[in-house]
Amino acid sequence: MLITLEETSAMIRQGRTLHIAADDALLQQLPKGRWIGGTTPYFSSEEGGIFTKEKLFVTEIDFAEEIRIASYGKYNVFQIMEECYDNCLTLLIMPYGSEVANKYAKEAPEVEELLMRPTLGWISGFDLNAPGAAKVYNGETGESFTDRAVVMYCRLPKEQTVLINMINLFTDDKADPVIRFDVNELEVTDCTVDGVKVNFAEYIRQKGIDPSMPLVSDHNGSYLNTSIREVREKEVSLYAPVYRNIEYRFASHVDDYAAEFMRRLNEQGQRKPVFSCNCILNFQLGNLEGKKTLPFIGPVTFGEVAYQLMNQTLVYCEIVG
Amino acid sequence: MEAVVQEKMKRILQGDLKYTSANLAFNMLISKLQKRVQADPGSIELCIREMDAFLAKYPIVAKVDAANIAAL
Repeated sequence: MLITLEETSAMIRQGRTLHIAADDALLQQLPKGRWIGGTTPYFSSEEGGIFTKEKLFVTEIDFAEEIRIASYGKYNVFQIMEECYDNCLTLLIMPYGSEVANKYAKEAPEVEELLMRPTLGWISGFDLNAPGAAKVYNGETGESFTDRAVVMYCRLPKEQTVLINMINLFTDDKADPVIRFDVNELEVTDCTVDGVKVNFAEYIRQKGIDPSMPLVSDHNGSYLNTSIREVREKEVSLYAPVYRNIEYRFASHVDDYAAEFMRRLNEQGQRKPVFSCNCILNFQLGNLEGKKTLPFIGPVTFGEVAYQLMNQTLVYCEIVG
Repeated sequence: MEAVVQEKMKRILQGDLKYTSANLAFNMLISKLQKRVQADPGSIELCIREMDAFLAKYPIVAKVDAANIAAL
């Protein structure tokens, strides 16, 4: 829910366990307590998509039996796989552009235990028209970071489990060429297209590919996106890494982004997410300002984590059992 | 894992049967293990054990997948 600074501060003082997303100027004013936070002024609220620096988006973590809060740098971020509870939802926030976020993005898919440790989260950001530092907050200590990840481990009752899922409007056409990379990187030069080595930037230009369409990889029917940040002369910058040994294709063109996003949202039926966040690219390209996306409300983010880093995706989790 | 599920799981990992779950993590795991089996067919038993560990960790959601796979 989107509420005022006073209302949020009161909830913290009551000892409630909170996940908070807001502009940095508001997060700085919060009292210490059982909360973690990240910066963004973009939200999907009960009233619709909104840009605001006046209110905070607060999610109460009332489903956990016990919580622990911690922060990690780039050298130990994968300790989250070992330090979580056995039956746990790990909520993770990392600052946009930070080394810890880049490390997590590049290496998470190769972490053996990744899929056994439900991890949901987001990349904190800033006002795109007045770029500042993306930050995360450990509310317990009152610390903020631009270079560390903050985590809330949420222990679930034994008879319950967490189900992480996503809404992605992109798929591929299996007749399209297969693109492969031989690195796990956010900046790429070469790739192979149907086995032939080419410069990726030149390939995008030569084929007239719309760079607002992400690369997609098919993971047994679940499509994961890698969005294009910038096509330079010889290099392509990405919002999430490409990975070696993964087959990519460019997503099939979507004629009406906003309509297709809402259609995918409505396909979800009766969901009861306890937490969700949506990508800033969906917010912008889907014209979501003022549009309701219920029951999927939460921060609008600079990257989403559903086990690994995602792009142009709404991620959410439900507690089942 | 029941024998029938295990047998069908083996065929899914070998690419002979197709099953898509409603569970994102399960799809990601199937995809990862299919690549492993493709690269090293001898790893199939290890991959089945990994799949078994995953389903055992999430018995509530695994029940649905196990039933669907048994019915393939």
